[in-house]
Amino acid sequence: MKAQERSRRYSLLGTLFTVFPVIIIFQMVRIQANPDLGQKLRDMGETITNPSMTITPARGQIYDQRGHLLAGNRTVYEVGVELQDVKNPMTIAQTVSALLGVNYDYALARASLQASSTSVYALLIDNVPPEEIEKLKVVIEQMNSMYSGGKDENKPSLRGLVYYPHLGRIYPEETLASNILGFVNAEGEGYFGLEERFDSLLAGRSKKVRVPLDPNRAQELPSVPNGANLVLTIDREVQRAMEQVIDRAVAQTGSDSGTLVVLDPRTGEVMALATTPRMDLNQFWKFAQVFPKDTPFNRAITQAYEPGSVFKVLTMASALDVGAVTPETVFVDTGVIEVGGAVITNWNQGAWGPQDMQGCMQHSLNVCLAWVATQVGPEDFYRYLRNFGIGHVSGIDLAGEGSGRLKEPGDSDWYEAELATNAFGQGVAATPIQMAVAISAIANQGVMMAPQVVQAVVSEGYQHQIDQRVLSMPLKAETANKLSRLLARSLELESSDALITGYRVAGKTGTAEIPTPDGYTSNQTNASFVGWGPLDDPRFLIYVWLEKPGISPWGSVVAAPVFREAVEELVVLLNLPPDDIRRKLSSEP
Amino acid sequence: MDQFENLARNYSQAPWRKQLQTIALFLLIVVLIALVAGIYLNISARATAVGRDIQAMQADVKKFNREIEDLQSELARILSSSQMEARAESLGFIQVPTDEIVYLSVPGYVERPAIILAPTSERTVVRAIAMPPEYTESIFEWLARKAMDWYTILTEEQR
Repeated sequence: MKAQERSRRYSLLGTLFTVFPVIIIFQMVRIQANPDLGQKLRDMGETITNPSMTITPARGQIYDQRGHLLAGNRTVYEVGVELQDVKNPMTIAQTVSALLGVNYDYALARASLQASSTSVYALLIDNVPPEEIEKLKVVIEQMNSMYSGGKDENKPSLRGLVYYPHLGRIYPEETLASNILGFVNAEGEGYFGLEERFDSLLAGRSKKVRVPLDPNRAQELPSVPNGANLVLTIDREVQRAMEQVIDRAVAQTGSDSGTLVVLDPRTGEVMALATTPRMDLNQFWKFAQVFPKDTPFNRAITQAYEPGSVFKVLTMASALDVGAVTPETVFVDTGVIEVGGAVITNWNQGAWGPQDMQGCMQHSLNVCLAWVATQVGPEDFYRYLRNFGIGHVSGIDLAGEGSGRLKEPGDSDWYEAELATNAFGQGVAATPIQMAVAISAIANQGVMMAPQVVQAVVSEGYQHQIDQRVLSMPLKAETANKLSRLLARSLELESSDALITGYRVAGKTGTAEIPTPDGYTSNQTNASFVGWGPLDDPRFLIYVWLEKPGISPWGSVVAAPVFREAVEELVVLLNLPPDDIRRKLSSEP
Repeated sequence: MDQFENLARNYSQAPWRKQLQTIALFLLIVVLIALVAGIYLNISARATAVGRDIQAMQADVKKFNREIEDLQSELARILSSSQMEARAESLGFIQVPTDEIVYLSVPGYVERPAIILAPTSERTVVRAIAMPPEYTESIFEWLARKAMDWYTILTEEQR
């Protein structure tokens, strides 16, 4: 080596040894002089050595009042690709497409993404059950053993395909009480029912922590409490029996849909809330198939409809309470009455002659009830309806409750004729739960309890009972008892299909024509029945609604037998003795 | 002057001895460094192993929590109303027609209460003294208490 060359090399080495420290010093000064840059670099280092991790608590479970699990959690997997490890995106796309049903083009596009500092992982599919993952594991192992080694860039490879476990929602009872529970979607958000109403409570609070990769700095992860558990007032057995009853009724009557509400009038606790259609909540992605356009998820709380003659119970309650009539008041029914320019006739267009109030209710006379409403007067009539909660949400603890519509004097679309039509449930819209809650005041000595589905919340080791609330006291206890007896007698005189051997019940049928844009021109009806019992100590109130029944338009023909069938099931499940045995038992010391 | 040089020569160490001391010192330093490094490595390795154990246990906790949820859900599925009905039917049970059901009063039967999953939110206050005062009081407090007891006894006897 020539001396000149050696000298040049030494010079270069010297320069490098000089420049590097200068650069380091320059960088040190730059970082010290710029706090933002310093923080940015500190964060960058922190991200690499202490990557952040979100601790997601298990979603709270939902139990019925006997402790049966209605909504729980189970391990599911998310499948994705670590982009920098991917060797053959086509193999990955083919595999997940064949095994997990992921769209091939979508999977190929995701797996072909270029890895970068902002894009390291691509999700392919979530909520994959463990059974599917087992199949995937086998394929991955087979591929590894068949195609490992070699330098062929195009050989099949599943490198980069990864799966991570996490908890997902499961509903062990599948369709049971689905309209009450709602569901959790793939993103973990609650939709409808309890899952939506109590979403934040059930989900709990996730926490983001930094976990050092260095084992020397390993530390205990902070404890994150699970989401709160809910205990419902719903009894699984009662709910199942009521769902079977309403399903049979819908099938036998050829109705479009059916709804059945069972509540305890003394407490407002909802024992069952059965509607059609219902879906298997474990397959929430089929929502659009089960609930096509405009189909409510839970008719009992969402869909307001003109209830028809069951509304007469509220009209008669207000008239008796305000003193406008007594049960003995006689009305001579001429078959027609004109109120505010509207001509009201009876359901059979007939004149029923002299009728006391029991006769009016027994024969469900529109003319008589329209007259009763005029005797009450609009001011008192609508005050009572407001106190019964008509036109307002009942406050049931489920998402998506509808408020219905009550037009009142002073509203631009209220006319004097509404007073008469509202008296028999026309021109007013209410949801089944609103009707059930309003009429529960008559069954419960004039006290209207707030409907509730959640009985208790279990959070951080303690069970918090939810207090029962009085919504209002719309009428006197004496009036409520009087009306209950009147309605029980009406059913008995009518030999209604709602009567049950051994149990005295009160109730009222309802048949409402369905309005069209041209008025009440359709032959289709909404058939309803509301009833409660045992008369001297009501333990249940049942509201039945069949939408557009095919075999008969009348509530007395299609809805009353559903009430009887429901009560026959209910008294067994609630251990309710027949009236004579109950009296005998209660008289024993 | 010569005397001093002679004395220094007589008492100075041989060169080989000086070399040996230097080597020994060097070796001692090396051994010490090796010892410290060995201790450090040992402790560091054990701390790392414990750290890895902690990380593994944290992963286990997560896995076990998932397994608990899985088992609860699986149990619920096995005991679901549709499964129970199917099992009852397979065992030959049939549903009793409602008109054949007779109410039977059983003395002493208590209706099943609603489920209690956890203690109610009203916290229980433990009123019982967990430990006798001898274990918690100081010697002066003990003396004062004993004196008060004797005083009470004496005054009661005088009455």
